[in-house]
Amino acid sequence: MFNYILKRVAQSGLVLLVVGLVAFSMFRFVGDPIDNMLGQERTVEDVERLRTELGLDLPFIVQYGRFLGDAVQGNFGVSYRQGRPVSDIIIERAPATLELAVVSAFLAISIGIILGVFTAIRRDGWLASVIMTTSLIGVSLPTFLIGIVLIYIFSVDLGWLPSFGRGEVVQVGFWSTGFLTKSGWLALILPAITLGLYQMTLIMRLVRSEMLEVLRQDYVRFARARGLSERVVHFRHALKNTLVPVITVTGLQLGSIIAFAIITESVFQWPGLGLLFINAIQFVDIPVMAAYLMLISVMFVTINLVVDLLYVFIDPRLREGGL
Amino acid sequence: MKGITLTALALALATSTHATTLKWAGTTDPQTMDPHAVISAPVLGFLNNVYEGLVRRGKDMAIEPALASSWEPIGNGEGWRFNLRKGVTFHDGATFNADDVVFSYLRASSEAADTKGWFAPISEVKKVDDYTVDFFTKAPNPIFPDSIANWMIMDEEWSKSVGATVPSKEEGNAATLQTNGTGVYALKKRQPGLETTLTRHNDWWGEDVGNITEATFTPIKNPATAVAALLAGNVDMINPVPIQDAARLEQNSQVKVHKGIEARVIMLGFAQQAEVLKYGADKGKANPFLNVKVREAVAKAISVPAILRTIMRGNAEPASQLVSPAMRGFSEAYAERPSFDVKGAKSLLAEAGYPNGFSFGLKCPNDRYLNDEAVCQAVTSMLAKVGIKAELDAMPVRTYWPELRKDNFDMYLLGWSPGTFDHEHPVRFLASTPNSEKKLGSWNFGDYSNARIDELLPMIQSEIDDTKRQAMLDEVTGIYQSEHAYVPLYIQPLVWGTGKNVTLVQRPDNFFILRWASVN
Repeated sequence: MFNYILKRVAQSGLVLLVVGLVAFSMFRFVGDPIDNMLGQERTVEDVERLRTELGLDLPFIVQYGRFLGDAVQGNFGVSYRQGRPVSDIIIERAPATLELAVVSAFLAISIGIILGVFTAIRRDGWLASVIMTTSLIGVSLPTFLIGIVLIYIFSVDLGWLPSFGRGEVVQVGFWSTGFLTKSGWLALILPAITLGLYQMTLIMRLVRSEMLEVLRQDYVRFARARGLSERVVHFRHALKNTLVPVITVTGLQLGSIIAFAIITESVFQWPGLGLLFINAIQFVDIPVMAAYLMLISVMFVTINLVVDLLYVFIDPRLREGGL
Repeated sequence: MKGITLTALALALATSTHATTLKWAGTTDPQTMDPHAVISAPVLGFLNNVYEGLVRRGKDMAIEPALASSWEPIGNGEGWRFNLRKGVTFHDGATFNADDVVFSYLRASSEAADTKGWFAPISEVKKVDDYTVDFFTKAPNPIFPDSIANWMIMDEEWSKSVGATVPSKEEGNAATLQTNGTGVYALKKRQPGLETTLTRHNDWWGEDVGNITEATFTPIKNPATAVAALLAGNVDMINPVPIQDAARLEQNSQVKVHKGIEARVIMLGFAQQAEVLKYGADKGKANPFLNVKVREAVAKAISVPAILRTIMRGNAEPASQLVSPAMRGFSEAYAERPSFDVKGAKSLLAEAGYPNGFSFGLKCPNDRYLNDEAVCQAVTSMLAKVGIKAELDAMPVRTYWPELRKDNFDMYLLGWSPGTFDHEHPVRFLASTPNSEKKLGSWNFGDYSNARIDELLPMIQSEIDDTKRQAMLDEVTGIYQSEHAYVPLYIQPLVWGTGKNVTLVQRPDNFFILRWASVN
């Protein structure tokens, strides 16, 4: 068992190293940061001098080595664009992304489960068919388009909600929160729906098919035969058994909500990590790109590791086999 | 009685300082608040509201007194004497005087400063008294006052006390995030990349100022988001309005579209020294662009009016030379651009030995200038009509400049906005033979070279007599025009959008000067 955990942790570390290696090998193709850093009056010598100063003339593997060496000491370098430590910038931006992700995940899970159960129970009802059909929109339309359409309906035409930004935020220690002001909540609605829509439809469809599967099981028939009310059958017996795979999937999806916030954040000018990353690409801000990619991969690797370790506790075969 | 007067006074003050706020959005956040660290339009444009120079540009781009109330040449072209304005205070209350000018000169000309090139002609700066400073130049320099309109003055004591004696681009310092200028607006809050708020400096010395007391800038990268924010009334001004949305916004009674002409000329450049073509089906064959007839054929084959009508939706003007007519030193004698003439282009190609045309590579940015890729596509199809086939390769600007520096092109698209608003600027950067020691031709990617232009440039730079200077600029224009060193296409438009209650002035350098704006 201990060996198993050790092995999984080592594997996770290896994955991180490889992600970093791939990222650094690709930065060269993103472009050259120098032109954004020097003005119109720069000479070719200025370009070369700055390139050497930043170590961009070194092979990518050396650049990666330097990055790793600094990163293990908690130093992610200084942003080429802003001239500030990357770690400061990330701490400043993370609350916006995390708050958005949490609210979207909450919306996606709660509405997804409710609609999933509903469409499973009333599988032949007209409303269920309408929901199933419209849910296709959530899966098939690009996030960018959904965001713009929502902005035009609710901000431009109706004027109910702000079209961009985070509203007023309150600083609580290092954390800037939009949860404490009305404008913060209003600003959160459209981006949260846009970001959560895909996950919501996914969860809804998953719950529906799991539920239909469970409802065919023998114990449900027995429950019905015992004369239990439909409500008890559906919600106490069927739903509980449906949720096991749903929880696994949503756990993994939480990671992708954060990672895929990039598009939503850029449509709504939401001041989070995704927007930071998009801008970093535009200006070839390598320290920011590197830190962001590492952060996201650490997050995914951790989630996977936790899931794997949980299996050990759930599945006795893994424990006894001592894999 | 006294109590009543005081209350009345307080009331009067309260109403006169009634807050008028303006929110505006642009695509790019100024990357620093340090006026000497980076020469880029977003930085200098933003900081023009916060800091001031000895001279400044008016609504028509002509220079006018700012922190210097007057200036005159010293002796016979030995330099310039600036008489400083008295009674000017920085935002922190410190008094402005000659020490700040000398300090700002040292700071802006230091090795770490992007602005050091502006002071290359300077040999020495001397404080004469508290309100007089002499700038001595290595050679007579008639346009020196023009060339420092964006050189902003910082307070010596403040800069030293916060540890920002020299700019730091790579590491940043206090001046990267804070300011202490003399301008109409002081920095109230700075959140890099997110939001920057300015507030009115009530002790400002000047008078020409609108009613805005507080202004907030938000960078909005996504053009669709910016347009929606304007329509929803969440911002009062956006720059730019995407050209394709301008007509739609003009139909909307809630918003106004402001159109003008920028200082930027968009042009095509050629590989002028490469012996062979590098791209296309004729890769490796002799480079046809070495022949002036081929370059002229390209100029004739492109219908600029058609490009402006379709892609720019009538918002731009054709260009005849490397600067627009609004710039100092524009050559009236050469204001004609080659007319659109397919037959003429074909016969020129035939004369040059390419009756059946040829194939080559055209490099183009896709996120640098307004609709740049679409313009290149139009150029490609127009050239195809005279038999020359361009293989178009469009890319983001972050990879574009490195490609051009590596000479990876046969033909390329370039936009140039002269920092000094003078014709000498593009001649120095684009038409001079590249020479890194003399800092000449540093953006002349195609290595265009003409001995007479190289000879004339230093003479233009040091000629005090305006008529003689213009005659030399005319000669230079005549040379690069007849040699078709570049094919100037058009002058890029300025399209801004505001709420219907906003008035403002559009300056050709695309700077949004807050003191000229009002919200009614």
